[in-house]
Amino acid sequence: MKKAINVTMPSSAEGMSRVDGRLKVTGAAKYSAEYTMPGLTYGVLVGSTITKGHILTIDTKAAGRAPGVLAVVTHLNSPKVPGDQPEKGKPVPDKGALKVFYDNKIYYNGQPIAVVVADTFERALYAASLVKAQYKAEKHITNLPDNRDKGFAPRGEGVYKRGAADAWQSAPFKVEQEYIVPTVTHNPMELHAIIARWDADDKLTVWDKTQGVNDTRDDLARLFKIPAANVLVHSQFVGGAFGSALRTWPHEVAAVLAAKVVSKPVKVVLSRADMFTSVGYRPFTWQKIGIGATADGKLTGITHEAAGQTSSYENFTEGPVGVSQNMYACPNVNTKYNLVSLDIATPTWMRGPGEATGAFALESALDELSYAVNIDPLELRIKNYAEVEPSSGKPFSTKFLKEAYQLGADHIGWGDRKQVPRSVKQDGWYVGYGMGSGMFGAYRSGATVRAKMMADGTLILQTAVSDIGPGTGTAMTIIAAEQMNIPADKIRFELGDSSLPPAPTQGGSATVASVGPAVVKACTDLKEKFQKLIGNGGEDHPDYAKVLKEHNLPSLEVTSSSDGGNGMEKYAMNSWSVHFVKVLVNAATGVVKIDKVACVSDCGKVISPKTARSQVIGGAIGGIGMALMEESIIDHRYGRYINNNFADYHVPVNADIPQIDALFINKPDPIINVMGAKGMAEIALIGMAAAVANAVYNACGKRVRDLPITPDKVMG
Amino acid sequence: MKQFQYVRPATIQAALDVISKPGSKIIAGGTNLVDLMKRGVTAPDKIVDINHLPLKGISEPIGNVMTVSIGALALNSEVAENSRIKELFPLLSMALNAGASPQLRNMATVGGNMMQRTRCGYFYDTTMPCNKRQPGTGCGAMEGVNRMHAIFGASDQCIAVHPSDMCVALAALDATVEVAGKKGKRYIHFADFHRLPGEKPQIDNNLAPDELIVRVIIPTNNFSRNSYYLKIRDRQSYAFALVSVAAALEIDNGIIKNARLAMGGVAHKPWRLFEAEQFLVGKTASEENFAKAAGLAMKGAVGHGGNSFKLKLAPATITEALKHAAGLV
Amino acid sequence: MKSDKPTPETTDVKDSSRRDFLKQSTLLTAVAVTPVVAIKAANDHMDEHLAAVFEKMPLKMEVNGKTVNLSVEPRSTLLDILREQLDLTGTKKGCDHGQCGACTVHVDGHRINSCLTLGIMMSGKKITTIEGLAKGDQLHPMQEAFIKHDGFQCGYCTPGQIMSAVSCIREGHAGSEHEIREYMSGNVCRCGAYPNIVNAILEVKDGGFAV
Ligand SMILES: Cc1cc2nc3c(=O)[nH]c(=O)nc-3n(C[C@H](O)[C@H](O)[C@H](O)COP(=O)(O)OP(=O)(O)OC[C@H]3O[C@@H](n4cnc5c(N)ncnc54)[C@H](O)[C@@H]3O)c2cc1C
Ligand code: FES
Ligand code: FES
Repeated sequence: MKKAINVTMPSSAEGMSRVDGRLKVTGAAKYSAEYTMPGLTYGVLVGSTITKGHILTIDTKAAGRAPGVLAVVTHLNSPKVPGDQPEKGKPVPDKGALKVFYDNKIYYNGQPIAVVVADTFERALYAASLVKAQYKAEKHITNLPDNRDKGFAPRGEGVYKRGAADAWQSAPFKVEQEYIVPTVTHNPMELHAIIARWDADDKLTVWDKTQGVNDTRDDLARLFKIPAANVLVHSQFVGGAFGSALRTWPHEVAAVLAAKVVSKPVKVVLSRADMFTSVGYRPFTWQKIGIGATADGKLTGITHEAAGQTSSYENFTEGPVGVSQNMYACPNVNTKYNLVSLDIATPTWMRGPGEATGAFALESALDELSYAVNIDPLELRIKNYAEVEPSSGKPFSTKFLKEAYQLGADHIGWGDRKQVPRSVKQDGWYVGYGMGSGMFGAYRSGATVRAKMMADGTLILQTAVSDIGPGTGTAMTIIAAEQMNIPADKIRFELGDSSLPPAPTQGGSATVASVGPAVVKACTDLKEKFQKLIGNGGEDHPDYAKVLKEHNLPSLEVTSSSDGGNGMEKYAMNSWSVHFVKVLVNAATGVVKIDKVACVSDCGKVISPKTARSQVIGGAIGGIGMALMEESIIDHRYGRYINNNFADYHVPVNADIPQIDALFINKPDPIINVMGAKGMAEIALIGMAAAVANAVYNACGKRVRDLPITPDKVMG
Repeated sequence: MKQFQYVRPATIQAALDVISKPGSKIIAGGTNLVDLMKRGVTAPDKIVDINHLPLKGISEPIGNVMTVSIGALALNSEVAENSRIKELFPLLSMALNAGASPQLRNMATVGGNMMQRTRCGYFYDTTMPCNKRQPGTGCGAMEGVNRMHAIFGASDQCIAVHPSDMCVALAALDATVEVAGKKGKRYIHFADFHRLPGEKPQIDNNLAPDELIVRVIIPTNNFSRNSYYLKIRDRQSYAFALVSVAAALEIDNGIIKNARLAMGGVAHKPWRLFEAEQFLVGKTASEENFAKAAGLAMKGAVGHGGNSFKLKLAPATITEALKHAAGLV
Repeated sequence: MKSDKPTPETTDVKDSSRRDFLKQSTLLTAVAVTPVVAIKAANDHMDEHLAAVFEKMPLKMEVNGKTVNLSVEPRSTLLDILREQLDLTGTKKGCDHGQCGACTVHVDGHRINSCLTLGIMMSGKKITTIEGLAKGDQLHPMQEAFIKHDGFQCGYCTPGQIMSAVSCIREGHAGSEHEIREYMSGNVCRCGAYPNIVNAILEVKDGGFAV
């Protein structure tokens, strides 16, 4: 008998609407490139056309003479970035972030070699096309599969083992396969943009697309050796990022340099082509999994190897093999993670970093194993359910993944699934069902919030967090409204400004979990302050405006902080997800259509049902893109991307996406924070690609192990 | 983008005068030209805006004139939505709607669509070799990333494909193109309008540089009940074809009386499948016959690695399109 | 912050050579009226150099119900004119190549991609951008529906989606979910708000609101 589970499945109209919705639907929301100011000029980057080597000469004469041009900045004439210069007496680190216009070295194709500044965008763009460089090219490598032998274990990562190594090999049922996740590019809709303005020799203001205004401030302060207090970073609206705005990139430094040269504010907006080379990507990763089980489906061993690409000048690491260590209760697990340095730009975290890559391999391998054992893939997962964290033995703070499995299975109609591929047809298309599961650490860090009650009863909350789209302001408003017992429209949440009280960078699905407690704390402290004002016997939620008036106060404010919590010491804390997908496959032409999707998230308490639902759907669509169409392709002969535009790099469009059901377990995690809320952004994507691949196999019997699953790989 | 002179002639004659000067380019919807100018693939000195010329109309078949004429400036969306076109040539309407996006179809014109250039990545990237963009530099795609490229009629100079959907339908529908030049009008059969790359891949078609497309003329036919345009692409919409097929059948009592087939995404021009068409005439409309026709259509096809899957995908798509056209699915 | 951009009414005349050019460029516009002669005149008077350097032409169009008189380079796209010269930044740039739909506006009531539209070709046209959709404080029903159904996350594709959604209904392409999806496929949303966008359009369509 199945237990009845309480379903939380909001409709698109349910729950409080976004607090910034009106600004967004009227075009009034201002993104970084959209500020005007006296003397604004335009910077356009020129990218290298070789992949490795150095610049011999760079001819900027024609560009410099072109109408409207104010400056052409290159490594030859750029002001020095103080923070990039070697420090006396300290060894020069052999690796580090790319130093823009530092010298004549070229590390990847498209590396900025100049920025042209002019009075209009059109003139800057044209002049940029006139900059001509001569290079001395060296032999480059950009292809991971051909260079896997050059892999090395990054510091602090590398190998992991519990139980016996390669135990899967002696299992009665086993699968060993290789999986490829190609380079996938974040490609948020908003092009990365920055306006940089020097207000004095040591005072800088930037309007910048960033997921963390404090990080950007600190980076710029360090690089230009000015006090952090003198750097102001605005990033009120961010048009998506998915990880691409988690660090400070060369174009940002280039804009700041250019602004110094022309002594005017400079706006630099990347082109869509630049978005492939300038702001990171999910690294191409080769993986191999060996997995074995007994006849009744008990896992005996998992071996998971991965090699991911990085640049020649930086080691970027993520954790693709981590899922194999902790997703299932398996006695013998060994993993190995290598990096391969290539002549490409440094990758960066992208939604579900590492885990999304690893889960594609692990969840595909599990599916393959289920056919080998001939057991329902869902049952196989339940059989190997981890009740405690396998790698540490720690209890989970909460884990309701089993409930999630059942919910999702019921919802998609898992019962209609046939174990044998090519068994079910609908209107001439093969029908297939697949599932994939995901996990991601539930993180939390410290944050500070200022809460200010105004005379008219408006509550202003301020913190330096960013909102790249999930609806941070909305969730925080909901929390504060409940705490203060005032209507949400009486609350103004201010964010995206480095002069506000500090908050963590928006990443790792940790914003609500981190800033939420600070909002709760600030509200509690503010109420207490009111209580003090009223004296004994005051009610818990007084009429704040009235109290202020009685005491003749214009406002009352507190600034409160929350810490990172210490739950991690005793508990393993994660968010969990499972995705169920029904696909239709035309076996002749290889076309795959997503027919139905149910995603179940176990991410603690849901604070804002409307935006939570959107976030889960968005993650699922990201996963569908990764599964079916996304791939940044390099012509390795030239080391240059060949599909670096939105016509050739496909992301899902509306026609690709059916209604997606987002279900929530919605049980609070009492350990993580007072609200019981954990992150949901990453788990919304992790496991999705495998769910699609598994469904395609179930439909037509084609197992695609190298993403994306385009028609050519499925047909025939 | 380089600066250019913008002119807006008021008559066709005036337009012909300007376009005969080297360095000038016609602009219609601008969806291809402006894109290419932004990429630096083309850099005209003079842009000739022809949008004020009287080339928009879609005519009805009148009396014994059994043709429909579509002006070069008729928008892709206007043609696709036109009720007479939908009724007489549903194939054309379907093909147009399979192309680009609603916004682009509201800008793109019939003439511009015919003249649009290849979407080959090497053609678009001015740092790469491309014989079409810059003769003599080599073909980047030949041994490069050529998933989208030609399997028919390519030369060792170029394996680009013509990206249009509309043109595939027009080729199948035996349209004729009326062009105006300084010496007057001339007519080009649609199948002869675009050309194969041969030794001169920089030339896409047989329109002379000083000529203007005036209209496209389509003879009426009996295919309207059994037409289908099937486009296989990497996502469900807003993507160029891996392979597309325009299939039109005239079926009488289960027997095929007449057939038209053309393919997109496989050659430097819309690829008519004459042999397969002939084979189908007199045959029953069955999947088996369709598959045989598809087999015949593949004669001479050559893969180049990345696009070799099209050798299998193309016949599968032909069969599938014919099944749809015949109402078998 | 005060903008020092030329307001729509003022023509940007910074130096005399440009003023001279403006005189010349009236010749160019005259091409529309007296083609052959004027083209010859243009060709004779304007050597390559001048044409490449001096650039601006007068442009008069209607934007959100207001007539604007500008002086633009022929190479400026409608999108850049809206965003950089008219400070109408609601219309977004997502690709600049017709590949994403973020720049969707209405020209004479029809949706188009403003990034592939030369501004100079808009002379005499009526442009509606997202800023011109609401009636004062009263939002357009499609804007309301987008808020209600959360038809966005980051909001960057949203103006384009809404302009497209209005057209989708006006064109008669909102007959079914399937049809809406197809006819909204010219607007990429990387945040993945598609199902919510479909729901918003259905609500407006089924609610019988005037769009
Ligand atoms: C992102 C994107 C996706 C697309 N997807 C598709 C697709 O899936 N399928 C498809 O078929 N197309 C697709 N297109 C291409 C689109 O259909 C063409 O760009 C469009 O049809 C060109 O028409 P236009 O009027 O805008 O031409 P313009 O850009 O104005 O002109 C193109 C060329 O034609 C010449 N020209 C125009 N009119 C005439 C005339 N009357 N006589 C002589 N020469 C003339 C011009 O000089 C120019 O060289 C896509 C385009 C984009 C940007
Ligand atoms: S910016 Fe115009 S379509 Fe992307
Ligand atoms: S809402 Fe972010 S791209 Fe659509």
